Amino acid sequence: MDLLKLFKPDDFTLLAIILGAPLAGAFFNGVFGKRVGKNGVRLISMAAMLVSFFAAVLTFFALSQHRHNVHEEFEKTGVKGGAEPVSKLAWLAWQWMSMATGQSDGRLSIDVKFSVDELSAVMMLVITGIGTLIHLYSTSYMAKDRSYHRFFAYLNLFVFSMLVLVLADNMPLLFVGWEGVGACSYLLIGFWFDKEANASAGRKAFIANRVGDVGMIGGMLVIAHYCGALDWSGIAQNVEKLVLHGGQPERIILWQREAGPFSLSPATIAALALFLGCTGKSAQIPLYVWLPDAMAGPTPVSALIHAATMVTSGLYLICRLNFLFVYSPFTMAIIACVGAATALFAATIALVQNDIKKVLAYSTVSQLGFMFLGVGVGAFNLGFFHVVTHAFFKACLFLGAGCVIHAMHARIHDDDKSQDMRFMGGLRKYMPWTFYSMGAATLAIAGMPFTSGFFSKDGILYHVFVNRVVNPVVIEPMAMMRKMEEQRQVFTGPEHDMLARRIAQYWQAPNWLGPVLFCVGILAATMTAFYMFRLLFRTFWGEFKGWKVAPEAALRANPMENLEPLVDEPEAHLDAHGAHGDDHDDHSHDDHGHDDSPGEAPAEAPWPMAIPVAILGLLALFGGFLLAEPLHIEPLGKWLEPIFGDVMQHKDVAGLLSGFVHMRAGAAALEWPLMVPGVLAFAVGSGAAYYLYVHERGIHLPGTLMDAYPGLHKAALNKWYVDEAYEATIIGGTDALADGAALMDVWVVDGIIAKLTSAVVTGIGAILRTFQTGVVHVYGAFIAVGLLGIFFFFGQPHPNVATHKEGDTFTLEAAPGLGYEYRWTIDEGAPEPAFTTGEKATTRTIQLKKGEEKYVTLEVKNAFGRTAQKIVHIANPAPPPPPSSSMKPVGVPPFKPRPKGAQ
Amino acid sequence: MNAIPIPAFLVVAGIIFGIGAFGFLVRRNVLVALMSIELMLNAINLTFVAFNRAYPHNHTGHVFAFFVIAIAAAEAAVGLALVLSFFRLRKTVRSDEGDLLKN
Repeated sequence: MDLLKLFKPDDFTLLAIILGAPLAGAFFNGVFGKRVGKNGVRLISMAAMLVSFFAAVLTFFALSQHRHNVHEEFEKTGVKGGAEPVSKLAWLAWQWMSMATGQSDGRLSIDVKFSVDELSAVMMLVITGIGTLIHLYSTSYMAKDRSYHRFFAYLNLFVFSMLVLVLADNMPLLFVGWEGVGACSYLLIGFWFDKEANASAGRKAFIANRVGDVGMIGGMLVIAHYCGALDWSGIAQNVEKLVLHGGQPERIILWQREAGPFSLSPATIAALALFLGCTGKSAQIPLYVWLPDAMAGPTPVSALIHAATMVTSGLYLICRLNFLFVYSPFTMAIIACVGAATALFAATIALVQNDIKKVLAYSTVSQLGFMFLGVGVGAFNLGFFHVVTHAFFKACLFLGAGCVIHAMHARIHDDDKSQDMRFMGGLRKYMPWTFYSMGAATLAIAGMPFTSGFFSKDGILYHVFVNRVVNPVVIEPMAMMRKMEEQRQVFTGPEHDMLARRIAQYWQAPNWLGPVLFCVGILAATMTAFYMFRLLFRTFWGEFKGWKVAPEAALRANPMENLEPLVDEPEAHLDAHGAHGDDHDDHSHDDHGHDDSPGEAPAEAPWPMAIPVAILGLLALFGGFLLAEPLHIEPLGKWLEPIFGDVMQHKDVAGLLSGFVHMRAGAAALEWPLMVPGVLAFAVGSGAAYYLYVHERGIHLPGTLMDAYPGLHKAALNKWYVDEAYEATIIGGTDALADGAALMDVWVVDGIIAKLTSAVVTGIGAILRTFQTGVVHVYGAFIAVGLLGIFFFFGQPHPNVATHKEGDTFTLEAAPGLGYEYRWTIDEGAPEPAFTTGEKATTRTIQLKKGEEKYVTLEVKNAFGRTAQKIVHIANPAPPPPPSSSMKPVGVPPFKPRPKGAQ
Repeated sequence: MNAIPIPAFLVVAGIIFGIGAFGFLVRRNVLVALMSIELMLNAINLTFVAFNRAYPHNHTGHVFAFFVIAIAAAEAAVGLALVLSFFRLRKTVRSDEGDLLKN
């Protein structure tokens, strides 16, 4: 099958199917879903996803074929040693808009154009593939929900928006998808909107993302201004304009200081602004706060949107614009630091959470931090690889958690408690499939050697240690300097100094940054292993504690009695249960738990839920061989080479090997040794979790630690009070502003503007109302009086003269009237002989010298023979007197006054 | 042709118009008011045709008079219909009783 004959690479309409199927599904489910019933909705949404996935796979094969062609062409004609070109299949839907740009001579056209290249092909497969699995899962998970059709309409719409995001060929179109997924995320977080908490979680996500969108738009404007293009290839061609302007560094001056202007390069500003957008969408410090709350949505949504796809769109954007970000090593360093900080910070919170979904949510934030750490040090392919592996294992974990919650809910009938790990335990026995799948995913995320998470995370950490991002602009002087030093042994001199100064113009990350970030990453990885195994052990090991939770009815009767001991000391409570017969308060709960109509025992989820979890678990285990760098099995790395080639590949500049992303000397030798800390992190973290939660369960070590540092535990449990801090500062500030505005509204707008206006209108109305008597004869009398007035007015002649001056010529024009005749008296005492009428009669032209004045009399006679006259005074002003010496302008040769009397 | 001077027509028309206007202003009976309006319209018609006598080759005045007659007929039809429904509503034709919109 030769797809490329059917669809041309530059008019690849198959993309319309990939995009159109989910959109059609969303439309149909949204409009007719209620009428066709749950089976119909299931059929439509699954069909839409399968069609889209199938088309995506076909597209992928077509792309690899196209890539093969491009590669052959390149071998024949391309430059040896140059980067391989990107192969791209594009489809122009329609031309959207076109506008003039500030700098470039051409026009900036923004088209609705979709394209798929190596990078977006991977994303497209992940979205449609995992999307299909999660749709299948949801058909069962949401089976009892009233708003089944609404859920699938949103979910299909989300897949469509996400595909628009990754397939867009320019930034504005990507932004359309960016906002689309944001809207769907909002709708799905607040899917059960009748609960206030869910609705406000949706709003929080929406608003936090708006903050990031400011950055997105700002970055886009900067790029459009300097590059004159917003499509990917256009930006790539003109990216140097963001740094250089005619060979000199381009700077944007932010403010003036005494020591000189503080300025940044446009590349830095654009990259920082875009990164702000990414922190919003991909939940990084400082905008990560929405993601943990987003767990209010249904669990499949958490898996698809808030773990696998949408939250990685920030990463996608950075990978997409990697050639732009490397032009700003400062931003790259910021990205790496923010990523590392987020990874560590979120991991500390995840250590102590009790809600199973909250642990996974903070874990997601932390893993996203790892991805940003990776791209921040220039390891774009590994950062992106972590996106893929994370999609596998985190989707699996979320879906597995969904199975657990599903089973727990059947037992407890309480939304919050069925997610609480304190009520779980021993589920291994009841749901083995879920256990094995989640176990595989846990091994992967914790970084067990040769699982997917190991290859991606440890690859990132290795590159964090050895990589160094160099501004492409300074590569040439650096190479020249090195050549000078190594071949000619010149270390000083004017030439050397000039090169050194050229290099010093651009910021570079300090050398110690990499190892520091490496240590932070290892620490976060250790915590990751710990909290993930804590989750696994508390959920699947030990005894099932759900028996002790009375169903909702009993809880409502006396909720505190059942809840309190569990909150404080879960392990102690378990023991008390074992040591039945102690003279202890616990008797009563046990009775509650067993006697009051227990729900069903937890059971394995139905196959539509179990199968996706199992598939994803397998992928989590073995997906790592897509890019196993240490083993040199890198199909994904080879595949992505054209995308990151410019940046990662070493270029031949001035006879010396060089690249934008440098590696430390001896980096290759460090590859295996640097893996040791990573493996140790896995071993220590998982071992500690095993020790605390399985082996030494009786010692209550976690409880003891909790008691030893109650403040620390409480702070971590409360997410380090970040939400409270935001509440006090930003939200409080906004509230204060709103209060101020409300005062302004009450006193100025309502008090002065509105009341004053209404008072004036009321007053005038009171006067005018008296004329409206409602008596017809009074109106008639008014008409009669008015008519008499008009007759009287027109019975009188009205001499009116308009004067126009043009130079020394004055034109007098008399106002016309019915039956008027005119007589002018221009020279005093000599009136014109008779009244005249007609066109000539109305105007007179008079010449006046400078300084002369004259009185002109106009007589008008109307049809009734009445006359009236008007005297007009016209004067031609004399030229202004010469300016006096005090008003002399500065800088003009001194003015010599004329002698008096001379003209 | 010139037997009667134009001012004579105008005086007659003025008198008729005055009677009409006076009747319209002082009488409360709507029917009488309508008749007064007819009087005023006819006075105007008289001035039109009288002025047209001075310009025998021009018929604007005549045509205008016909238009006024047509308008007067229409106005009388509408006016009488209004009077009828007014009478059904209030059992009177006195114009100062028509104050439903007041208060």
